[in-house]
Amino acid sequence: MALLLIVLLPVLGALFTGAFAGNNARLNSLIAMLAPLVSLALALSLLPAILQGELVLAHWQWLPRLDLALSLRMDGLAMLFALLIIAMGLLVLLYGHFYFSGKPKDNQRFNGLLLLFMTAMLGIVTSENLLLMLVFWEMTSLVSFLLIGFKADQRAARRGARMTLVITGGGGLALLAGMVLIGQIIGSYQLSDVLASGDQIRQHSHYPLILLLVLLGAMTKSAQFPFHFWLPHAMTAPTPVSAYLHSATMVKAGIFLLARFHPVLAETDLWLYSVSTVGMATLLTGAFVAMFKHDIKGLLAYSTISHLGLITLLLGMGTRMGLIVGLFHLLNHAMFKAPLFMMAGIVEKATGSRDMQLINGLWRYMPYLMVLTGICAAAMAGLPLLNGFLSKKMFFAETLQSPFTGVLGWLTPTLAAVAGLLSVAYSVRIFHNVFFNGLPRDLPVFPPRPPARGILIPVTVLTLACIVVGLVPQYVVHTLLQQAAHAALGAPLPAYNLGLLHRFNLPFLMSALALTGGLVMYLYRRQLFAIYDRMPEVDAKENFEWLMLRAGNFAERQVHRLENGSLQRYGALLVATCLVLAGSALTGLTTWGGGVTTPADPVTVLAAVILMAAAVAAVVIHRQRLLALLLIGTCGLFVTLLFARFSAPDLALTQLSVEVMAVIIMMLALSFLPQTSPRESSSLRRLRDLILAVATGSGVAVLAYTVMTRPAQSISGFFLDNSLTGGGGSNVVNVILVDFRGFDTLGEITVLAIAAMAVFALTRNLQLKERVTRESGSYWASEPHPVILRMIARPVLPVALMVAGYIFLRGHNLPGGGFIAGLVASVALSLQYMAGGLVWAHQRMLTAFRPLIGAGLLLALATGLGSLAFGAPFLSSWFNHYHLPLLGEVELATALLFDLGVFMTVVGATLLILANLGNLMTLDGPGKEIG
Amino acid sequence: MGIPVWLEAVIAILLLLGALVAALGSLGLARMPDFYMRLHGPTKASTLGVGCTLLGSLLYFSVSGEGFSVQEVLITLFLFVTAPVSAHMMARAALHRRVQAVAKTTQPPRELGRGERNK
Amino acid sequence: MIDFVLPIALGLFSLSLLMNLFRLLRGPDVVDRILGLDTLNINAIAVIVLAGIAMDSRLIFEAALLIALMGFIGTVAMTQYLVRGDVIE
Repeated sequence: MALLLIVLLPVLGALFTGAFAGNNARLNSLIAMLAPLVSLALALSLLPAILQGELVLAHWQWLPRLDLALSLRMDGLAMLFALLIIAMGLLVLLYGHFYFSGKPKDNQRFNGLLLLFMTAMLGIVTSENLLLMLVFWEMTSLVSFLLIGFKADQRAARRGARMTLVITGGGGLALLAGMVLIGQIIGSYQLSDVLASGDQIRQHSHYPLILLLVLLGAMTKSAQFPFHFWLPHAMTAPTPVSAYLHSATMVKAGIFLLARFHPVLAETDLWLYSVSTVGMATLLTGAFVAMFKHDIKGLLAYSTISHLGLITLLLGMGTRMGLIVGLFHLLNHAMFKAPLFMMAGIVEKATGSRDMQLINGLWRYMPYLMVLTGICAAAMAGLPLLNGFLSKKMFFAETLQSPFTGVLGWLTPTLAAVAGLLSVAYSVRIFHNVFFNGLPRDLPVFPPRPPARGILIPVTVLTLACIVVGLVPQYVVHTLLQQAAHAALGAPLPAYNLGLLHRFNLPFLMSALALTGGLVMYLYRRQLFAIYDRMPEVDAKENFEWLMLRAGNFAERQVHRLENGSLQRYGALLVATCLVLAGSALTGLTTWGGGVTTPADPVTVLAAVILMAAAVAAVVIHRQRLLALLLIGTCGLFVTLLFARFSAPDLALTQLSVEVMAVIIMMLALSFLPQTSPRESSSLRRLRDLILAVATGSGVAVLAYTVMTRPAQSISGFFLDNSLTGGGGSNVVNVILVDFRGFDTLGEITVLAIAAMAVFALTRNLQLKERVTRESGSYWASEPHPVILRMIARPVLPVALMVAGYIFLRGHNLPGGGFIAGLVASVALSLQYMAGGLVWAHQRMLTAFRPLIGAGLLLALATGLGSLAFGAPFLSSWFNHYHLPLLGEVELATALLFDLGVFMTVVGATLLILANLGNLMTLDGPGKEIG
Repeated sequence: MGIPVWLEAVIAILLLLGALVAALGSLGLARMPDFYMRLHGPTKASTLGVGCTLLGSLLYFSVSGEGFSVQEVLITLFLFVTAPVSAHMMARAALHRRVQAVAKTTQPPRELGRGERNK
Repeated sequence: MIDFVLPIALGLFSLSLLMNLFRLLRGPDVVDRILGLDTLNINAIAVIVLAGIAMDSRLIFEAALLIALMGFIGTVAMTQYLVRGDVIE
């Protein structure tokens, strides 16, 4: 439970801030920070156990048949990430409070989204189920889309957000495929099972494919080459978002994935070469480009890419020590990169710019920030006594002992040293360029506004962390790191000592060389900038936009080729598809069935003949719309009779009610249409349609005949046996509707409600002043509501409602039920509209329709949920028989409540459609919308 | 079953009579020369015929074991109340559409003619 | 006696149904067709009642009741449309 709370508390906090804080920014931020604080406390309470090497699991069934479970795990690796996520989140929330000061709305939205993101990240790192992890994985992509596009009114922000979503979302799809493959091979999606079957996967023939897919997911998320270009464009996000997502959390998700799946996928040559190549390429690209970015955040973004490449390279080398160093550097990177991002935000707020060509010499204005930035930049560069120095030196040591042989054996450390040199150069630049380097030039805001004191707190905290970890790593992070690496490796660890790292040796020499080289490089920066400016520019954004545009256009063309807006065409395509698919299956038919058939009696035959005649006539005269409608009504009547004849009274009642309701609604629609439909199709097309229709009709006939004459085991026996005992009703049809298949019914009434709402939404602001004249051109008649009709309509209503009530109540045991009763009631009420007019009838309606629909849906849902409270599955019905005085034996079933919900929804939805279509014709209607 | 012979005879006669009268009404619908004449058959004769059938059914089920039920009464009542209204509505529609009539039916009552002319 | 009369009555009503269908298909005016459908409804009620007697069950009588109700409202809707050009206002 504690595990679940750790994950869910942030999102709960997000709900609370929205609900209680209102526009009070301080309260909002307080509530927003409270939830992660509790989360942190819970996580820390688990820490001792984790440090002992324990594994905490929590498991709830979700969709057992899909092997999808809400199961969480907390081990060393998860704990490392969880603490990082929560602690960084807290600091960023605090930072965001000051960053968004004066904009309470923005602050509130930021808090909510950030907390949501926190939950998603925590979900990824604590998931025990692969599919669950994917759900959270996609959630981070979605929330990051919202966070990057935070300033939604800016084109660049929207584009950056879209790019991130496309790339990380696409990677998520690849990851999904990879996870499913893993699940298929192992037969389980539980992480524990997966981690235990590494050999099985590595030996499987699909291993390269799985590796490729998982790596695609990880590499896109962690902005690895060649997918790195989204990260600089995501810098359109507000700075707190960048500090959280792009230095500490989201980009680390890919790294987490690599570490998590280390026991499953690593320790093969394929892993070694693919991952480390990508890592090295990213390390160098990022480090090289970072030096030349004039935008502070741009520089930080590329440096982040470079550091992520470094970690990936370490993980790619597949050595156990490499994993430890990678995780260590990941932690350190969050500690020094986040405050640098925060510094960028503070500087931007103070000066109105992020361009380092303009921002110079800020030390006069913010000396304290200068000190903090200096320490962080030094950590990034890898100066001794700071955390970055330790992990970078360990990194150099690892490259010297890399598993590569031959040329790669010495190339790797050399390139690593070059990358180190570049990182020193850009670290020096961000510090020196911003705070020294002469005087500020043409700043939008001058003199720079001093930062608020509070905004410096998180920066200070993180800077202190850099120093502490750098000085005494063995006391601070050693044990946790060890447990994390242990959890990731699933194997014992090599001996190492973080405390001895400050000693002089070959890696120390590499560090020193990188340091000197970087300083020299920075000194010659102007010449280098000049060279860089002359290099051909590869703008990934342009290419990406071009690709997106082409993809969009291509998709659009395909869609238009298929969907040209012609309903006839869709109908033809649909029917033809059915014909091909079902027809090909039907050709395999060997026997026609046979068996016992009911002998036909003359009256039934006659009814069938009339039905056919009416149907054929409807086809022949379909251009005269009213006549066609009449004939369709006739067909409906005879279908009803045939249902009644073959002992399906429920179907008969439903058919009849639906028929009349449909005819009335179609007649309403007819008011807007010419009375005859024009001939529009060529004769060739009509021939095609004729062939299609006849073939499909014959196909359906053959299908129906063969199915009905075939001796088959149907499930009706089950329903008949269990209807009374299981559902408490003897009308099997109704029990199926409200109990056995109650979930379907719930879905169906929801669809009905949505359709009614759509009609309402589409017609509410529509004004049709032009009326369609009749064919003869004369005007429609006056005297709208004949007295005789008005007089008769009133007594009909209570009688009809009584019939509806009767049908409703007896529905559970005898033909009837909520749906039919609802239709009967709506038809009776629609008579009032026809007889008295819209205004007259509407004034007399007891309730508005939309609340009725909503109440109906809620009632049905609540009935279903009610069974959960008693420990039964969703929508189980409960019933009992009571003996009441006067009334005798009375049966009460919760299904009746459910049916009442159906009834209300049906009445509300049909009348909403009816009244709004009628309202279209009314020139002087009720004046306001009908709903 | 225990239906007295005389009652069975009554029921049989009601059913037969109902069917005959209804058929007569339908014959009128099929054979009469214009709409205004055709309107009479179904709305009067057929309603009466179906009413007889319903009465027969009411008697039959009252004595055959299922017992008296309000259904037939309700249907009969409903038919008898609504038939004139539908007839009125249809006649109104026909007049409005100026449906062709044979010579015998072309003298409309005065009030109706005036009402229609004024629109 | 009833068993003897039932087929005859059913036959007569079938004949009525056919004659109504004739009017429904023949017209000539829309009102004639509406009248045909209305009569078809009324006769269908009788057929259901007779079938109920033949089956010795009232189970399908609700269908007859609904035909009476729905048939009437359908007829009203159609005549309203003919006169007014719309069903509700």
